[in-house]
Formats: sequence, structure tokens, C-alpha cells
Amino acid sequence: MSTALRGSTLLRHGLFFLALALVLLLLTSFVFDAYTNYNVTEVAIYAISAAGLTVLTGINGQVSLGHGALMMIGAYTTSVLLTWHPDLPMILMLLVSIATTGIAGAIVGIAGARLRGPYLAGATLALAVALPQVPSHFASVFGGNQGLTVVSPAPPAFLGANFSPEQWLAWITLAAAVITFFVLANLVRGATGRRFRMVRDNEVAARLAGIDVARTQVLAYMISAACAGLAGSLFAYWVTLTSPSGFTLTLSLSLLTAVVIGGLGSLTGAVLGSFVLVYLPVKTGDLATTLNLPSNIANNVPTAIYGIVLIVAILVFPRGIAGGIASIVRGAGRIVRSSRSPAALPASPESPSQ
Amino acid sequence: MLEISDLTVAYGGVIALENVSLSVPEGSITAVLGANGAGKTTLVRTISGLIKPRHGSVMLGTQQLVGRSPEAIARLGVGHVPEGHGIVSELTVDENLRLGGLWRRDRADQRVAIEEAYELFPPLRVRRAVHASNLSGGERQMLSIGRAMVARPTALLLDEPSLGLAGGLLAQIMQRLVALVTERKLSVLLIEQNARSALSVADQAVVLSLGKVELRDRADRLAGDDALRHAYLGF
Amino acid sequence: MHLFLIYTVDGITNGMVYAAVALALVMIWRATRIINYAQGAMAMFTTYIALIVIRHGAPYWLGFVVALATGLVIGAVTERVLVRPVESRPPLNAVILSLGVLILLEAIAPMLFGGQTQSFPVPVSNTDLLVGGTSLDISPFALFTIGAVLIAMLLLFLVFQRTTLGLRMRAAAFNPEIARILGIRVGRMLTLGWGLAALLGALAGMLAAPSVYLYPSNMDEVLVFGFTGAIIGGLESPVGAVAGAVGVGLALSYVSGYVGSDLAPLGGFAILIVVLMLRPQGLFSFGRQRQV
Repeated sequence: MSTALRGSTLLRHGLFFLALALVLLLLTSFVFDAYTNYNVTEVAIYAISAAGLTVLTGINGQVSLGHGALMMIGAYTTSVLLTWHPDLPMILMLLVSIATTGIAGAIVGIAGARLRGPYLAGATLALAVALPQVPSHFASVFGGNQGLTVVSPAPPAFLGANFSPEQWLAWITLAAAVITFFVLANLVRGATGRRFRMVRDNEVAARLAGIDVARTQVLAYMISAACAGLAGSLFAYWVTLTSPSGFTLTLSLSLLTAVVIGGLGSLTGAVLGSFVLVYLPVKTGDLATTLNLPSNIANNVPTAIYGIVLIVAILVFPRGIAGGIASIVRGAGRIVRSSRSPAALPASPESPSQ
Repeated sequence: MLEISDLTVAYGGVIALENVSLSVPEGSITAVLGANGAGKTTLVRTISGLIKPRHGSVMLGTQQLVGRSPEAIARLGVGHVPEGHGIVSELTVDENLRLGGLWRRDRADQRVAIEEAYELFPPLRVRRAVHASNLSGGERQMLSIGRAMVARPTALLLDEPSLGLAGGLLAQIMQRLVALVTERKLSVLLIEQNARSALSVADQAVVLSLGKVELRDRADRLAGDDALRHAYLGF
Repeated sequence: MHLFLIYTVDGITNGMVYAAVALALVMIWRATRIINYAQGAMAMFTTYIALIVIRHGAPYWLGFVVALATGLVIGAVTERVLVRPVESRPPLNAVILSLGVLILLEAIAPMLFGGQTQSFPVPVSNTDLLVGGTSLDISPFALFTIGAVLIAMLLLFLVFQRTTLGLRMRAAAFNPEIARILGIRVGRMLTLGWGLAALLGALAGMLAAPSVYLYPSNMDEVLVFGFTGAIIGGLESPVGAVAGAVGVGLALSYVSGYVGSDLAPLGGFAILIVVLMLRPQGLFSFGRQRQV
């Protein structure tokens, strides 16, 4: 048993994620109330998308400032199809959204594979700004600025009459998240992940090692986009309304924030970052009510904190909050060093003159 | 007088220079010889402040250079002609020369100094408005030395000036340099792999090997002693 | 044909605003190899400050000067305090840092100035000039916009090409290490460069606000279009940035006029992709990549 476990990462991961799924099932069924389930669903949606971005930016080193736009493609795929055929099953919608967004990601990736640094970032940024304006031009298809309504799936009859739709959606979303993380964790550990990292760290060396750099980058973009598509589709079911205002540049930047907060390149970090994205506004909202802050201040406190966190994360903890906490645990002396060496970021040879 | 004592430099854990001491009197040239990786370039970059030493001191006259920034060291009178010329290829020849003494308050003398640089290396004058990227290797070397001289330094660090230069041209440039050294009372540290050319102009020579001073002697004695030359310089 | 003329004038006018942003981005890119994603947000902030000054009864021009001066200070302080520590680190650090500044400024602005959209005054009339009863299809403010950006560019050109300060700044940007061993205080040059770039951004903010209105994310699109122009121009070349940005302005104006204003940003994206597919380094770059 123990040797089999040590021998097979896949098996070990499988058992771990199965256990995780069980724990989540128990929590959502017996511990959490409807509101918590609602929030947990949101965390899971962001986590799926952030995990995809982690693979792209953290593991493969390609910057995307337009992941919100990719989520939008997933959400609209689901919403438009449901407008035409309201009876289509959710599982099909999720798969189709993964496919369309994956294809869109591959296209962006093919364009992106020729681009480096700011050129790629600029292209994704332009996409993030351009795409949310499309629905209002093709209002007959996309419902214009009002958007398209989506009906949240009803729980199956055998779960009983008291089983709430929130709980059902939480189950589905968490299951999707667990599967996504299982797949990504194996991918990152395996040969594909190694190729991603080699391309990130040193393109020339990767090429010399026989890696098709462009193909690797397109693959990373496609996987990342597929995650965003899945998240977008779930997002549509969760909000029950798909409109352009849900997919502004802010969403793209928030996702990047989540990834950085959690520590670039860490899938666990993506979950941690998504918790922050969901619960920080909730907590600051509560605090603002207690302190009786005016709404123009209260509403913007979370965003201000994101901004500060990004700046502080880079200046003090280049390995993310998760990495930062780990450093603190390992001793104060090391923090100083880790903050100087950007370990988790794509490394460049350190110049002795610095 | 440029005086280096006990200079130790490390990159991470790797020692690049170990307790190097040497002095360059005014009006003389000290050649630093040695193979690739002996620490020659590290030595000049440390003197210029581009690398912080682990310990040791570099005195220019009465001023301690260690601990100062490269820009402050330049302003104290250290001219550095870096490896591979280090000219700014996006700027014109004239602009490169002007860069040499931009920090100096004496604008009138700055103009005189630029004029002197053109007199020192006449080929530069005809190309003054040309972008430095269009210069030949020899012209680049002249420009780099001329630019360092515009700041009226008291010490001059030359890092492999022979690199990529034809022998005749190199000899010409070196000849002008020797004239300058006595005229301006310069302390020159000449880094060279081309030991033969360096020894022909230097007053004294230091051989570096793996970051340590292996040998120091008068240049003419080193050049004349076949055994020493064979043992340390391989020619 | 008449419509075409109107769209062209609009395109050039907007393009000049994008050009100011593009030029600011290129200045910072050349000096520090960093894209300042907060360029637009900084401009939004300085424009709010101008609005406060003007609302307190001061003339437009005082607000204008205050905005530009604040821009200079914000840019310089950002470089000195936030950017300096990451300049030698891998590029992703600076990307995230400047996005952090962008997010922070756009969150602080509604706290300080209120989140609602506000109109912004113009120094000269915003209606088209009439000569003998026929419209010239260009307003005094459009002329002012074009003129102000052209003058700013000319002044920058003179500073960079004709003064010793400019020579120092260019040397520091092209080759910081060589500049340092020649006694140039490179750090100060970078601080000043960021300040001047933010000043140029502040000008763009003042010129954009009357038409895009003033709200915390009002410069997001302007930044993206300016960035698009800068990328099309190759990021290295000031001339390329201006040409690229005016091109983007024209393209957006035509798409917006003939197809629909909602599709204009998509048009901008399409042009960017097409140009980058044909020349991944932009139009005005000559294959020389100094970045690691």
C-alpha cells in the first residue's frame, strides 16, 4: 500500500482529491448555510479560473491581463445556448464552454506565442477592454447591456424537496473545481509541467532540449483558457445573469491579484487568493457597516486593499503571501533573503553589480 | 596614486579576487595580466564601484573609493574605459565625448577638454556627427579613451583596449596613451590578455591568477626574462 | 465624403491624446524596460485634482498647470519609492507592481473624489468652428488638443536632443552602467524620466476628460489605445509611438463611425493583432531587442 502510494503520484493525488471532495460534500451538506454555500461556490469559480491563470503565468511565464475576457466567452457560450434551447443539460453546457473558450485560448495563444513580454500583455489587455463591448453591438444575440438570464439548475428529485438550488450548484461547482485541480496538479507535476517551466525559465535552453516552444505556449494558453471557460460557464449559472458589466478589466486584474496573493505558480495559492477575492469584500463590508463609513469609501476598500496587497507582495514578499507566511515560519532571517531573491518568479541571472 | 590593498571580491560563494594589493604611482602604467577568468575585469569594475568588494580598500590619493557609488567615483577622478569599448552606440560621437565630463561645473574647460580629445584622436573629428554605432573598432576604442579623458581623470582604468584591434592601430593608440600619462601625471591600470603589447608600454606588471596576485615586477624585467615569461605568460 | 472628413478629424484629435499616453509609455519603457500600466490611472488622479482646483473658482489654466505639476510629482515619487526596488528584478515584478498602483489609484479616487461620473470643463469652445455659415468640422478644443500635444512633443524633443540634461537622460536610458561610470546620476535621471512621462500623461488626462468624462476608470481605454499605438510603433521609437497612436485614433474613429462605436475597441484589438502577426516587434522597431 505505502509503496504503491509513493510510486504513483496519480494515485496519491487521486486519493487526496477524493478525500477533499468528501470533506467538501460533508461541509456543504451539513455545516454550511445557504449563504456560505453561495460564497463557497464563488470561491470555487474564481479558484478554477485562477488555477488556469497560475498555469499560464506562474508555470509557463506568459502574462495574461485578459482572463476576464476568456471567462466572458465561457459565460456567453452557456447563456446564448440556453437562450436558444433552455433544456440543454448543464454538464453539456460546461463541456461546450470549455471547448469554445479553449479554442479561443488557442487562437490567442497562437497569436501570443510570437509575442513576448509587453507585446503579449498589451494584446491581452486590448482584448480585455474590447470584448465586453461586443454584446451591446450584437444585442439580438447577446442581449445587449441588459444581458441574458440563466436559470440555475434544479436539484434532482431524489435529493428531496428541501434540497436547495444553492446547495446543488455548490456541489456541482466544487466537483468541477476538485476535478480541475486534480487534472492541473497532475499536469503540473508531470512532463507537460516540466516543459512549461523550462520554457518559462529559459526559452533557448528549452529549444535546445528539443521542446517546441511555440506549441508549448499555445498548449498552456489553451489549458488556461479552458479553465476560464469552465469558470465562466459556472459563473453564468451562479449569477443567473450574464451581462458585459460582469467581465470588465477589473475582473481580469482581480484574477491576476488572486494568483499573486496566493504566490505565483502555486495551485494551492490560487485557492487561497480566490478566498481573499470573495471574503475580503464581505469582511470589509461588514466592517464598514459597523464603522458607519460612507458607501463611496466602503465599496472601494477591498479594491484598495488588492492594490496595496499587490504592491506590498512585490516589494516585500515576491513569492506571494503564501510564500511570505512560509518564510516567516522558517525564521525571520530568511525573509530578508527571500524578499531579495524573487524565487518564484521567472529568474534572470543575478548581476553582481546590483 | 591609486592604491589597492587587500581587495577581496566574491560572487555569491565564489571568490573572484583574494587579498589583491597593488599600487599605481602617478605618471605610470601598471599592466594587469592573466588568463581569462583570472579576475582582471572584476578588479577594474570593483575600483569603479560597479561591484562591491567583500573587504579591502581602494585609495585614490587620500580618498577612499570603496563604498562609494560608480557615479561618485567617476566624479572623484577615475576614468574607466570598459571592456568592449562601452560607447553608447545610439548617440553621436560628439555626444559620447560630451558625456565624459557632463558632471563638471567648468563648462569652458569642458569645451577645451573635448577639443583636446579630438586633437588626441583626429579620426574622431571627421566623424563627430556620426552615430557611434557606425564606427570601426579602432574608432570606438579611441572614442572610449577620448571620452574618459574629457573628464580630466587622475586615474585611468583600461580594460582590454587591444580587443579586436589590428596591431598597427593598437600601437598607435598606445603611443598616444603613453604620451598622455607623463603629460597629465595619470595613474593608469592597464588590463590586458595581450601581454606582449601591454608590457611594451607598462612600467610595472602584475600577474593575476585565479583571483590572486601571482607575480609583480617591473615590466621591462618581466618582458626580458624568458623563464618568467614562459612560466607566467606563456610566450 | 463629408462624414469621412468628420471621422478623420475626430480620429486625429483622439489619436493625439493617445499619442501623449503612448509617448509617456515609450519614455518609461526606454529608460526602465517597464510598462507603466498605472499611466492612465495617474492621469485620472491629476485630472481630478485639476477639477477640484477649477471648482474652487480658479481659472482653467491654473487647474491645467496644477495637474501637470502633480503628474510630475506623482511620477517621480512612484519611480523613487515603488519602482526603484524592482528595476533589477525579472519583468513580471514590475508588471504586477504597476497594476497594483493602477488598482490602488482607481480605488482611492472614488474615496476622495466620489465615484460618480463628472463633466469636465474645456478652456475653449467645444463646438465646431463656423466660417461664413459653413462648419469647418473642427472645434477650437480639438485644435487646442492637437496643438497642446504637438507643443508638448516639441518641448520634449528639444529637452532630449538639445540640452545636456536630455543627453544625460538619454545616456542613462540607453546604457545605465556606462552612464554611471561617466559620473551621471542614473537614479535621478530615471526619477525625472518617470516624472516627465507622468506629466505628459496628465496632459492626456486633461485633454481626454471633456469627451470621456471624469470617473475613476475613465482613462482605462485611453491607456489601452495609447499602449496599442505604442506597441504598433514598436515601443522603442517615439516617432513610431505617435504615428501608431494617431493610426489607432483614426482606425477607431472609422470603425466607430461606419460600423458601430461598440466595436471600436475590437477594431483596435484586431489591428494590434494583425500588425503584431506581421511584425512581432511593431512597425518602427528594427529587430534589435535589448531586453533579456
